[in-house]
Amino acid sequence: MRFVIKHAGYGSERVSTLSGFGKVKTASIETPTAALLTQGGSVVHLTVDVLAKVFSNPQLLWVPLSNSARLEAGVRAQGEGVAKFSGLQNHITCATLQNVSEITPSGHFETNLVPMWTKNGKKMISADKYMDIMEIYKPDILLAIADDHITLKEGNKRVSKAVERSCSLLDTCVNRYLNSTQLKDCSLIGVITGTGIKEKCEHCIKHILKHKEHLSGVALSGMTDGSEESLRIPIDKFEEILKRICESVPSDLVKFIEGCWSPDIIMKAIQYGWDVFDGSYPTKLTNAGYALKLNFDSHRISDELCILDLNNDRYKEDFRAVLEGCECLACRKHTRAYIQHLLNTKEMLSTVLLSIHNLHHFDQMFVHARRHIASGTFEVYKEHIIKQYETYKQQVLIENDIGKDCESVKTTKKIRVSDDITENVVSA
Amino acid sequence: MGSKSHALLFHVHAECKTTRARAGLMKLPHYTVKTPVFMPVGTQGTMKGLLPEQLEELDCEIILGNTYHLGNRPGTKVLEKVGGLHKFMSWNRALLTDSGGFQMVSLLKLAEITEEGVKFKSPYDDSEIMLTPEKSIEIQNCIGADIIMQLDDVVQTTFQNYDRIKEATERTSRWLDRCLKAHKRPSEQSIFPIVQGLLNSELREKSANDHLTKDVNGFAIGGLSGGESKDLFWPMVSLSTSILDKNRPRYLMGVGLAIDLVVCVALGVDMFDCVLPTRTARFGCALTKRGQLNLKQKKYEADLNPIENDCPCSTCKNYTRAYLHCIVTVETVACHLISVHNIAYQMHLMQAMRENIEKGTFPQFVKNFVNEIYSDGNIPTWVTDSLNSVGIHLSE
Ligand SMILES: [Zn+2]
Ligand SMILES: [Zn+2]
Repeated sequence: MRFVIKHAGYGSERVSTLSGFGKVKTASIETPTAALLTQGGSVVHLTVDVLAKVFSNPQLLWVPLSNSARLEAGVRAQGEGVAKFSGLQNHITCATLQNVSEITPSGHFETNLVPMWTKNGKKMISADKYMDIMEIYKPDILLAIADDHITLKEGNKRVSKAVERSCSLLDTCVNRYLNSTQLKDCSLIGVITGTGIKEKCEHCIKHILKHKEHLSGVALSGMTDGSEESLRIPIDKFEEILKRICESVPSDLVKFIEGCWSPDIIMKAIQYGWDVFDGSYPTKLTNAGYALKLNFDSHRISDELCILDLNNDRYKEDFRAVLEGCECLACRKHTRAYIQHLLNTKEMLSTVLLSIHNLHHFDQMFVHARRHIASGTFEVYKEHIIKQYETYKQQVLIENDIGKDCESVKTTKKIRVSDDITENVVSA
Repeated sequence: MGSKSHALLFHVHAECKTTRARAGLMKLPHYTVKTPVFMPVGTQGTMKGLLPEQLEELDCEIILGNTYHLGNRPGTKVLEKVGGLHKFMSWNRALLTDSGGFQMVSLLKLAEITEEGVKFKSPYDDSEIMLTPEKSIEIQNCIGADIIMQLDDVVQTTFQNYDRIKEATERTSRWLDRCLKAHKRPSEQSIFPIVQGLLNSELREKSANDHLTKDVNGFAIGGLSGGESKDLFWPMVSLSTSILDKNRPRYLMGVGLAIDLVVCVALGVDMFDCVLPTRTARFGCALTKRGQLNLKQKKYEADLNPIENDCPCSTCKNYTRAYLHCIVTVETVACHLISVHNIAYQMHLMQAMRENIEKGTFPQFVKNFVNEIYSDGNIPTWVTDSLNSVGIHLSE
């Protein structure tokens, strides 16, 4: 994979391209961007023909092993990698161990094994086993296995262990990677963990950089276990972390970030030079029946909230598009009232239409970010987006205070990124 | 056909010389539908996760909505404001709605039928609601489908009491008159009467003859496909189509199994509806020329073929049985993918029948179809008998 920086902004923000992929030779991915979250190999809720109605170019796909492990036998039988097996051979795959946005119980750990939570419960997995599967999956980009499903609040002992374990797992991954013919077209990414404790995190980065000549980038993780609480990091704390990591990672490495981060945090991360985001945020909104509708025009102040809860009865007779002027198929042809009806009757088309809009709109947020970086106006755009998100957050806090008890059902729904994993783990 | 003619124009352009099968065009206000046609069922104003664009790509020309469900949600107030179901669900082709009576009797245990209508307890607030023929038409006028159904007096198909069946059949005729009288949009919507009489040929004959005298644009054949034996089913279909006149379309309600479609087209039916293709998809069941595949079975784990090799649907073009095996009943995408294939299967079957009727090769097509789907040679007697009755002799 080739990584070329096209425009560097006033801060550390940058516009770059990823190209030179082994399978889809003509693909060129512009960053900053978000990868599309897959589940069981497919972009969540969308078949390949519907995906083609949302994006006409090759897209970056986020492929967590935790939700696609059951494909292994089939992918092996076919022998052409996970993308081809899942009908998405025209796209670029980025594989990782776990969707860090999935809430998992905290389990016990063993020296060289990391727990992987699947629908059927917990599996302990070693770096070798991970690389065995990756040789079958043949992703274009591969995040090394790491012990990174931890929050910023985690204590010293657990963080030390996580970093130590992740360093040793990375050594195995690099070693296997260098000796693998199946992965010769694949780019390896080191995973930063222990992020909450400065010294541990720096130790982790130093260790990753020892392998720099074999790595294409780093992925920032070790900040969330998927819980809503762990995602609620004060933005200045987040900024401090981004800043110090930005300073210790050379700029010729692609920077990934794992986690279901909201637009305000994404803007901050772009400012500090982050390139690729895991795309679970729009999926999380879709699964809750929400639609994202940011105003991208920084000269215009918008009075509507940037997220609509379409479960709400108030949209029953609202025959406007989710976002007027949006060019996605859902907005061109369907109304808030119709989506409200589909949610109300639990019809599957609700998540299809919301996915179409949310994925398109989330992508547009990055398109505009790249445009602003290139023209040197990113700072204004960033503040414009952050402000809209903060207004929304305040409004939700007020509403939650009013209806805390009756909202409890919805809160559990809100934190659900993929379906039913917690339920299944508990009952397993 | 008087004032109602422009809500439906039916023209038969090819008739099979052996059987009663015919191919035609049914011009409706929103679309011109090629018959014989299969109509997938989109109960609540949506087809199981598929976009209207996908249904068009699958060549669906007319789909079904359920009046009972739509009347509850989104409700007539919303549908009136938006200007009907076509606009609400963004579907520009033809629609058909049922009367709501069948749902009421089958879903609600407390339904009570009187001369006035069907009385039932609301599942939402326990209040008593009366669905009369007038009310059913009022809701259907609001939904705005191209073809709407009269309210009929529904009795379970396997029911035996002659007096009750007779009462229901006669009441259905009386209710038809009330429906036609209450109909507010005859130039945009056609009411189809429903031939009743269950498995009693004398009553069914009477019902069909009653309806024939009415100023209507087409007929439905009801009271079948409710668990009765196939040996009793096909003679009733045959009897109904032999009485109903040739110039108006005939719609057999609730039938969608491939072999049933083929036999009933041969018996002269033009329209069908069934939840089968989408319902079975949810359980991982794919329809094929050689019968149904249950993709959950372990034998598909490493099967790299598509569901059907010569199927041009987007599922078969992009996905293997092995992949579908991994995700059936787990991911919503699996349900969409199998629904696409299953609807494509039904559509291709109808298309093949239309083409063969037009080319004059329908009897041979039927023979080939039967031999392929019963490749083990065990052809059920009812199939042999029913086809014999219209001049197709399988053993020749
Ligand atoms: Zn949109
Ligand atoms: Zn197919």
